Amino acid sequence: MKSLPDDREGIGSPQRPGSPQRGAGTARVKARPADRIFRFLSTGSAGLIMVILAGVALFLIIKAGPAIVANWSTTTDLSGGTTQGYSSFWAYVGPLIWGTLFSALIALVLGAPVAIGIALFISHYAPRRLAGVLGYLVDLLAAVPSVVFGLWGIFVIRPFLIPFQDWLNQYLGWIPLFSGPVSRTGSTMLAGGVVLAVMILPIITSISREIFLQTPRLHEEAALALGSTKWEMVKLAVFPYARSGIVSATLLGLGRALGETMAIALIISPSLVFSVQMITDTRNSQTIAANIALNFPESNDLQRDGLIATGLALFVISFGVNFIARLVIARTGGPRRVKKSAKPAPPSDPTSVLTADAAESPVTIRSEQAARDAEAGDERTELAAEQNEDR
Amino acid sequence: MTDSEGNTVKFNKAAAAGTIALASVLALAACSSDGTGSASTSTSTASKPAAVDYSSLSGTLTAGGSSAQANAQAAWTAAFTAQASGVKINYDKSQGSGGGVTNWLNGSYDFAGTDAALSADQFTQAQTTCGSAGGVNIPVYLSGVSIIYKLDGVSKLNLDAKTIAEIFAGKITTWNDPAITALNSGVTLPSTAISVVHRSDGSGTTANFTTYLHQQEPSVWTWDAGTAWPNSIGSGQQGGSGVVNTVAAGNGTIGYADQSSIGDATAASIEVGSTGKFVAYSEAGATASLDASGVIDAQGDGDLTVAIDTTKITSTKAYPIPLLSYDVLCKSFKDAAQGKLTAAYLGFIVSSTGQKIGAKNAGAAPLPASFQTKAADTLSSIK
Repeated sequence: MKSLPDDREGIGSPQRPGSPQRGAGTARVKARPADRIFRFLSTGSAGLIMVILAGVALFLIIKAGPAIVANWSTTTDLSGGTTQGYSSFWAYVGPLIWGTLFSALIALVLGAPVAIGIALFISHYAPRRLAGVLGYLVDLLAAVPSVVFGLWGIFVIRPFLIPFQDWLNQYLGWIPLFSGPVSRTGSTMLAGGVVLAVMILPIITSISREIFLQTPRLHEEAALALGSTKWEMVKLAVFPYARSGIVSATLLGLGRALGETMAIALIISPSLVFSVQMITDTRNSQTIAANIALNFPESNDLQRDGLIATGLALFVISFGVNFIARLVIARTGGPRRVKKSAKPAPPSDPTSVLTADAAESPVTIRSEQAARDAEAGDERTELAAEQNEDR
Repeated sequence: MTDSEGNTVKFNKAAAAGTIALASVLALAACSSDGTGSASTSTSTASKPAAVDYSSLSGTLTAGGSSAQANAQAAWTAAFTAQASGVKINYDKSQGSGGGVTNWLNGSYDFAGTDAALSADQFTQAQTTCGSAGGVNIPVYLSGVSIIYKLDGVSKLNLDAKTIAEIFAGKITTWNDPAITALNSGVTLPSTAISVVHRSDGSGTTANFTTYLHQQEPSVWTWDAGTAWPNSIGSGQQGGSGVVNTVAAGNGTIGYADQSSIGDATAASIEVGSTGKFVAYSEAGATASLDASGVIDAQGDGDLTVAIDTTKITSTKAYPIPLLSYDVLCKSFKDAAQGKLTAAYLGFIVSSTGQKIGAKNAGAAPLPASFQTKAADTLSSIK
C-alpha cells in the first residue's frame, strides 16, 4: 500500500485534470516546494489511514481480550444483563454473527436486483432528462440518516407488511422462512430486511450505473448492428462488460447492510437465536451492530468488553466480505478491468477513479468510503448526464 | 429514553417552577426546615444554610447516566440554576446507567445517575477514585412501572401479580382467559390474542418490573430480575417510547413502561398484594409504596441503598410496582469546592422543593419524607 502515491504520480496528470499534480507534470524538471508539500500531505493522508485502521484493530483486540478469555459461566459480572446465561463468548457471538449475515442477505436478495434494474434504466433506457433526475433522487436516498429509515420502518413499513406477512404464512407457511406464529406488532426480520434493502439501493445503483455507462460504445453498436434487440444488446454487451463491477457494487452494498445499526435496532424485535424465520416476533436473529447499540448503555465494564468483542467479530466479517469482493473482481473479468483502469481513462470518467480507489485502498474502510461517495452523488449525476450527452 | 420534543416545554415549565421555587424557598424557609428538622437538629441547621446559599455557588457539574431520571434532572437543573446562576450542570442521559457509573468510577463525573445501586465490586472500585471513604448511593427519583395495554373496546382493566406474571411469561395468551375475566367482572373481554411488548435494550425499568414479578410470583416468573428481558416471549422494542408506541399502534398489545413516559396510553389497575383492591398509578401511591417496601440496606456509612420488597406493600393506597433510581457520588471529593457544589445540588434534588419540581415537571413521585431526611443527612457529610 506504500506504493500508492507513486502509482498515482505515474498516471496522475492525465487522470485528474486541474489537480495540483498536473502542475507537477509540466514542471517535472524542477520540483518546487509546493510539490514537495503536496506530496508530503498526500503521502501523509495515505499513511494516516493505515495508522487509524491499525489503531482501531488494536483497540478492538485489546478491549475484547478480557471478555473472550473470561469464564462466562462463573464470572459474576457476566451473570446479569445481556450476557446472562451464556457459557462462553462463542456461544454469545454465534447467533449474532448468524443474524448479521442473515439480515444482510435478505437485504441483498431484495435490494440488489432492484438496484441493478434502476441503474440499467438510468444508463440505457430513460430519457436523458429523467435519467438525471432519477440518478439524483437515488443518490439522495444515501443522504437520509439511518435513524430516519428506522422511524420510517416503524411507522410505515411495519404496519404495511403485517397483512402481507399473514398472507405469506397462510400460503407459504410450510417454508421455514415463513413459519409462524406471525408477528402482531410487525417488528420482524422481513420488515428490517426491507428497510435495509432500501438503504443499500443507492450504493449499488450508483456504482452499477457508472459501470453500465462505461460500456464501450462500439460493443453496443456492434451488438445492435448484428441485429440484437435492446435487451439482447444489454445482455451481450453491457452485462458481460460490467459483471465484475456489479459484483463489487453488490458486495459493497452487503458491507453497508452488515454494519447497519439504528434501523435494525429500532425495527426488529430481537432474540439471540439461530433462526431463519422472518415473520415472527420472537425468532428474529439479532445483528451484532444493533445488539451493541441496544445493550451498551446499561452494561458494566466486562459486558462492554464482551460487546466490543462482538464488534471485533463484525470487523473480521466485514474484512472477509471485502476480501472476497477483491477476489471476485480479480477472478471474473478482472484482468480486463485492471488493464483498463491502469490505462489513462477519459478525464471526466468518475468510475475509473472509483474502481481504482476501490481496488487500491485499504479494504475494510471501503464500504464506508463508498457510502460517502454515494452521498456526494449529485456531482456524479452531473457527470453521468454529461456522458449521456456524449452518446 | 423519552421523546426529545417534550423537553423544551418541560424546560420552560421547569424554569417557571424554578422561579416559583425561589420565591417559596424565601417565603417558606421555616416550613421547608420542618421536613428535615425532626430527625436531628444538627442536620437541619447544616442543610438549611445550604438551601439559602445557592445564589453564591458557582462552577460546573458534569454528570450522566440513567435515562429514566433524565427528564427529572433537566427539571432540577433548570430550577437549581435559576437560583444559582453561576452554576452549570451537564447531565448526559445517552450514557445509560452502566455508562454513567463507569464514567464516575473513571473520575470524569461528579455524580452519576443509575437505576441499580452500586454493587459491592463497584464500591471497592470507588475507593480508588474517591479515596478510602468510597462512594454512596442516594435515592433521588421515584416513579412507578405502569402496565399499559391497547384493547379495542376495553378502557378499564384490572390485573393482579399472578396474571401479569403469566401474561408476560406467555402462559396466558388470549384476553378472555378465565384468569383475566375473573378480575374484570362487568367487562366484556374479546378473544383477541395477547401481544406482549417488552424492552429490547437493557433497562432499569425492566429491572424494576422483573424484580416485582420475581418477588411476587417466583413460581410463575422463574427468571431472575435483571436489566435484560429474560425470556423469548413477545416483541422487543427499543426504549420506553418504543414500547409505548408499539402498544398504542397494535390491538391486544400489553407492555410496561416508566409511568412518566406513557403519555396517553391506557394503564391497567393493579391489585395490591391479595387485598382484592385494584390501584391505578398515582404520585402519592408510588410514595406510599416505597415507604412500605423500601428499607435502607446501607453498604457503608451513610450509604442509602434501598432494598425493595414489593410483597410488603399492603396498603390499598399504595401503587404496587415502584421504580427507583439513584445518584452516586464520592463521600469525599478531591476538590472541596466541587464536593460542596455537588452536595448542594443533590441536596436540592432530595429536598421537598426539589421532589415537588420533579413531580410537577417530569412525572416523578416525591420520595417519602423519611428518605428525604436521610438523603439530606448523608449529603451534609459530603466533603
